[in-house]
Amino acid sequence: MVELASTSCVLEVPATVGALGDIASLVLRLAAAAGLGKGATYRLRLAVDELATNVVMHGYRGGDGRITVRGRSGPGGVQIVIEDCAPPFDPVEGRLPPACPGIPPEERRIGGLGIHLALTSVDEFGYAHRDGRNISTLTVKAEGTDRCPPRP
Amino acid sequence: MPLSVSLSIEGDTTVIELTGELDAKTAPDFHRTIEKAAGHGTRTVEIRMAGVGYMASAGLRSLVFAQQKVANDVTIKVVGAIEPVSRTIRTAGLDRSIVLTDE
Repeated sequence: MVELASTSCVLEVPATVGALGDIASLVLRLAAAAGLGKGATYRLRLAVDELATNVVMHGYRGGDGRITVRGRSGPGGVQIVIEDCAPPFDPVEGRLPPACPGIPPEERRIGGLGIHLALTSVDEFGYAHRDGRNISTLTVKAEGTDRCPPRP
Repeated sequence: MPLSVSLSIEGDTTVIELTGELDAKTAPDFHRTIEKAAGHGTRTVEIRMAGVGYMASAGLRSLVFAQQKVANDVTIKVVGAIEPVSRTIRTAGLDRSIVLTDE
């Protein structure tokens, strides 16, 4: 169980590529507050960035929308919740399928790779769809393991 | 952080040097430079990434684009990538077709 602060930060941004930097800044602040190491900080940033980018590019499909990011940090790690009102999308279902020996890497779909990167970068991941909102919860533990992710 | 991209030719190698962060916002700059590099017709395209502190899958997309743009006999090298960046490249399986080296 990750020990986290009881208070949380909330950031609401338009679903645009330009807003991804604001989300990254929040994530880096939370990682610093939790005392995460370089590797864990990188993994957390990558995971949140990939999922938020996916919401911007594919969720709202370039249309108007908002992304809400909630974060909590503590000595045990950082937990980030990403919420959006785009059509329902479970990242676990949308990740890159297992390797097909006949398909070279350069012909694989990169969008699925982004989600694969996100899901293999965090220690815990959860998804729910409630009240018309996609809710993804990512946790990176201070003492988490940097598993060598499986090749797609 | 913005991305700085430079393009030069050293002998039979086209060199792209990147500094900064390579993500969905900045990758289009890299993409455009790859298009120019592909037109140079050198035998090697060397992408120096020691100055890249962060790379998302948008950067992978650019590397895949580079593979598609150059001729089959052109070698693409990624040089000096920090460990989390090379990990991302390996996770995507691109190290099977792109040469990853420290220097």
